[in-house]
Amino acid sequence: MGLLTILKKMKQKEREMRLLMLGLDNAGKTTILKKFNGEDVSTISPTLGFNIKTLEHKGFKLNIWDVGGQKSLRSYWRNYFESTDGLVWVVDSADRLRLEDCRQELSALLLEERLAGATLLVFANKQDLPGALSKEQIQEALALDEIRSHHWCIIGCSAVTGNNLLAGVDWLLDDIAARIFTTD
Amino acid sequence: MSGAKARSDAPVAENVPGGGHSTAAPPRDRKPGGGVLKRLKSRRGQVDSRPVTEEDLRTQSGHITPEDVLGLRVATQGYLCKPEDNIYNIDFVRFKIRDLETGTVLFEIAKPPHTEDEEENREADASAGRFVRYQFTPAFLRLRTVGATVEFTVGNRPLSNFRMIERHYFRDHLLKSFDFDFGFCIPNSRNTCEHIYEFPQLSESLVRQMVECPYETRSDSFYFVENRLVMHNKADYAYNGGQ
Repeated sequence: MGLLTILKKMKQKEREMRLLMLGLDNAGKTTILKKFNGEDVSTISPTLGFNIKTLEHKGFKLNIWDVGGQKSLRSYWRNYFESTDGLVWVVDSADRLRLEDCRQELSALLLEERLAGATLLVFANKQDLPGALSKEQIQEALALDEIRSHHWCIIGCSAVTGNNLLAGVDWLLDDIAARIFTTD
Repeated sequence: MSGAKARSDAPVAENVPGGGHSTAAPPRDRKPGGGVLKRLKSRRGQVDSRPVTEEDLRTQSGHITPEDVLGLRVATQGYLCKPEDNIYNIDFVRFKIRDLETGTVLFEIAKPPHTEDEEENREADASAGRFVRYQFTPAFLRLRTVGATVEFTVGNRPLSNFRMIERHYFRDHLLKSFDFDFGFCIPNSRNTCEHIYEFPQLSESLVRQMVECPYETRSDSFYFVENRLVMHNKADYAYNGGQ
């Protein structure tokens, strides 16, 4: 039995996952986090640090980290990469002007060695807004089809209504579980 | 209510020695995968931590580490560090408990903004701001799923390896040990952490005793930066409210 197998088995026992949620400021990361956990989302202010939730979902212990996305905070993101199993990249689908910024930040993250083992979920958020781009348009704008380094999936969602949040998280957990918790 | 700030990981039941789990590995340059081994290793260490007394820790030389407090078997009488050991200006500014079954906020307390008066009070009483007394009704012990949120601010220096260990006891019975690694904290940041967990299922006789003996349920919250104790807060709890 190799070390990797042992590690897999140990981690399987814990069934613990670390998810890191990033994206530009005002993408809706904190709203997604709160809505997913049944909290009031009527008053959300910019995150000037992090918000963590630990919870159990589908038999997994999840540690979800939402780190502020303002430009001044992005240089600190790297402090949260370690041990990340799943990266959730949140996009404001109505923020057309910053889509290029959004693409660049994501592609830089995908080069990070410490995120190399993470599954990528892209939430095309704010689908409830009239001016929102579709998830297909976001997929193209972020050049997701060029990604070879990570398992990825894009899901259109609305943090305010909660639409598709569960579907996204469940896809992410299934993909991580299949990679990490599979037995030999 | 830091009282309920525990995670579901440590089984609450009788005769559980230690039991806390650290979660996120501290941020550090390492090859992918290294974090897992480290996490598992540190966890095992906790379960095996040897029993120590408050007296042992007071007389030992050097600073107090996470391993030290994980060996405690009862709530401490005093504080294991001084308020001025908090050289990072870590400030807990909000606590909240909600019941996820009903979506109700059961308890919320926010600290008013910092004032000069407060500094003076702190001089006058070494426990000011470090001790909280909670009064709950017996129904509190029957909750199923709760979310406990803390919000804290950090001074102008970054924190590395910020870690919280919280131990809850009824008399000399460890109800829950709760261990969480915040890891890195951004300078001048405001951060929140909510632990959503299944409330410990306590035996009928334990519930009865906890209701009948107010303030014999106690907790110690220890905060470490780079494995050095920088804050120690205490709380005690009554569950006989409304009777």
